[in-house]
Amino acid sequence: MSVTRRSFLSAAGASSAALFLAACGGSGSGDANGAGGTEAAPSAGSSIGVMLYTNVMSLDTDLATDGDSFEVIADCIDGLTQMDKDGAAVPALAEKIEASDDGMTYTFTLRDAKWSNGDPVTANDFVFAWRRICKNAGEYAYMMDEIANIKGAAAIVSGDEKDETTLAVTAKDDKTLVVELEVPVPFFESLMYFPTFYPINEAFYTSLDDGTYGTSPETFLSCGAFKLDSYTPGTASLSVVKNPDYWDADSVVLQGINYQVVGSSDNALTAFKSNSLDVVMISGNQVASAEEDADLKDKLEVTGAGYMWYLTFSQTKKNAEGGMLANEKLRLAISNAIDREALVDNYVMDGSIATYTAVPPQFATNANTGEDFSADQEQFSDFIGYDVARAQEFYEQAKKDLGKDTFTFTMIYGNNEGDEVAKVAQAIKEQVEGNLAGVTLNLQPMTKAERLDKMQNDNYDVALTRWGPDYADPMTYLGMWITNNSNNYGFWSDEEYDKLIADCTTGAYVSDYDARWSAMLDAETLVMEQAVIAPLYTKANANLINPAVQGIEFHPVALNRVYKRTSVA
Amino acid sequence: MAKYILKRVGLALLTLFIIIFVLFVLVRIMPGNPFPSERMSADQIANKRAEMGLDDPILVQFGRYFVNLLHGDFGKGTSLYYGAPINTVLSTCISNSFRIGGLAILEGAAVGLLLGITAALNKGRFLDSFCTVFSILGVCVPGYVFLIFLQYFFSYRIPFFPYFFDPNRFMFSAILPSLSLSLFTMSTVARFTRNEMVEVMDSDYVRLAESKGMTGSLLVRRHILRNALIPIVTVLGPLIVDLLTGALVVEKIYGINGIGKLMVDAIAGEGVDYNYVLALGILYSALYIGIMLVVDILYGVIDPRIRVASSGEGD
Repeated sequence: MSVTRRSFLSAAGASSAALFLAACGGSGSGDANGAGGTEAAPSAGSSIGVMLYTNVMSLDTDLATDGDSFEVIADCIDGLTQMDKDGAAVPALAEKIEASDDGMTYTFTLRDAKWSNGDPVTANDFVFAWRRICKNAGEYAYMMDEIANIKGAAAIVSGDEKDETTLAVTAKDDKTLVVELEVPVPFFESLMYFPTFYPINEAFYTSLDDGTYGTSPETFLSCGAFKLDSYTPGTASLSVVKNPDYWDADSVVLQGINYQVVGSSDNALTAFKSNSLDVVMISGNQVASAEEDADLKDKLEVTGAGYMWYLTFSQTKKNAEGGMLANEKLRLAISNAIDREALVDNYVMDGSIATYTAVPPQFATNANTGEDFSADQEQFSDFIGYDVARAQEFYEQAKKDLGKDTFTFTMIYGNNEGDEVAKVAQAIKEQVEGNLAGVTLNLQPMTKAERLDKMQNDNYDVALTRWGPDYADPMTYLGMWITNNSNNYGFWSDEEYDKLIADCTTGAYVSDYDARWSAMLDAETLVMEQAVIAPLYTKANANLINPAVQGIEFHPVALNRVYKRTSVA
Repeated sequence: MAKYILKRVGLALLTLFIIIFVLFVLVRIMPGNPFPSERMSADQIANKRAEMGLDDPILVQFGRYFVNLLHGDFGKGTSLYYGAPINTVLSTCISNSFRIGGLAILEGAAVGLLLGITAALNKGRFLDSFCTVFSILGVCVPGYVFLIFLQYFFSYRIPFFPYFFDPNRFMFSAILPSLSLSLFTMSTVARFTRNEMVEVMDSDYVRLAESKGMTGSLLVRRHILRNALIPIVTVLGPLIVDLLTGALVVEKIYGINGIGKLMVDAIAGEGVDYNYVLALGILYSALYIGIMLVVDILYGVIDPRIRVASSGEGD
């Protein structure tokens, strides 16, 4: 057998040539993905790279449901109000806001603002967008009827009323928007910065093919601080650039934001170190090492993420060994057997705070006193806290009431809801089983969708779940535990509680701010006394921020990050 | 040959239809909720289900879906990229995965062939051992580990390549992920090429050809490589599908919106998205069937005996 070097090269030559040709050919179509082109890309010095945790699911205010989508929408579209750096509502597209004496009618006078196609922003843009949200009745339509209590919204959202023009939102003229409410809503102006209430240019929207609105820079209009530069649905990278036609363009220093979806926190950390990104979120177990790293510790900033993790207990006979968790003492025993400080210090580790109230701290402030609704984390210390002796006392009473010595429950939790969740679930199991002899808490991980499905169909014993505030009022939590509310996963029912909440939302207290505030505290007391839920911790985000980037405003509610006043040194 | 191809194409289409039907039924009965809402009332969810036609009998739903499919329409997602037509999302993801996967195949097949041929022609010598060790390493080390290694050195330590995939600089940012993905193909092709060539080189007909005075590239091309190619083409088929359908971890690490990542988002995202799972399932099946069809036909081209035997059976 003799094969020369030349024959070998000849035989192999074709493959090398193919590789080279492929490489050359590929570059010709390299821009097929570039949704918006990059000619208008901001200069590197004044734009920033920001990590997104998940893909932007939709830029349509009717369809978006996740924080990352809301953030990008809010970059590009203003509401009637926007958040100031402290989270208070300040006029944005509305120049003047007038509420009637009875608090049932709001008149918004719009300022001169333009869409990115040159059209003026008109009152009809709000009417169109809000009617559409009610008619399509998606995830956030409840903001229109249940929360904002806009007259006519409930019937349209439920499908009973097919004519969406019955929504009591009218454009008196191009500059005047009138909104009528069913009842006074004390926090109505702050709702207006939530993306569900943003406008859409009707003429532009109707000129597009079905389903294409917001799927590219060409099919999306901006009237906010930034405009969309590149985006396709499902993309892992997108960018926005400063909108020169923005009504408040002089206040905007930043030239643009390049968003990058980063799937793992390890990758986020390296991307930050390599200066590929200026703002990233890291996981709890990276925080300790970042704190010890001389180069990173000054760049670490912990901000409130808003949402609270808690345990919910099914109280129906269908679950938990024939309804054992309907026993209040057993729920109190479990709640008192959990060491929340250990959970946040040893497992979550990102600055999250142990929580002992049904409404988490940091997001709802009394408009008259400025006091955080949940500032006092010890107000329910008779019912919640890590107290093994008290937990065992409750447990003994429960065993006596129920005539049983051993209990086996299954706790469900999401395996796609954050790195720390499985660790927290395991720690809770160990704490509860260790402190309450005879209780077995089996763990069952699943996707968040499956967890929700099980909870909604009352097919679980104990669930590790969470809720993030949609608006800055304690009712975003307290509203969940009224009888038959779809988020009342324990199927708990208490007449006194239902009446208190009804009085606060539609009844006697809606016009009396202080009485309402106090009634909400009474309602929360009922939830805590009966351990309807076992609050665990209020989540924080551990961010690494390039020190040259100044003025990103972090909020635990509605919009987590706002860049309007951000600058690069 | 035409009859052989026609028969194979007919079988492929029938298989695809059966797969679409089974997939459709499986997706409908699998656990999970297409509208995983925490804020919608039961009435709202019922209305949404009715709007999507999810309450109709399954055969009616299938009929409607199949007719739309024949028009090239996969519909819209139920919980993923909600409003956007699946075709729009899919086309971007397919474009990314196919181009990066395609590059990986070319890199893998070309370098693999080179390595395999080198090893076979240097049997028992240093180059042979080198190629064998490389092949074992390449099969054992997952592509994403190699990507992290490349990313660390060539994006972080020496910041030459972008740290994340940039669709606006496709070729430049496709180099690291395609190289990482090609490693497995490269090693597999090298190993198969080497073994097959060594076997063929020892066969009687190669000895006969040599004794008749045939040497050099003609011998390698006409007798050795051609006969060694059949098992390589067989193994390359599924490898091509694997690479084209994206590699989840590589896509996730490098921030590529490809179809591997899309599939996982569709199954394990906020909700199970029936229509995305179906669309991707059909795409995977069609690709697999298509590639196997090409492999079958290529057999016929490479080795006419297969074609003749198969036609004979058919008659």
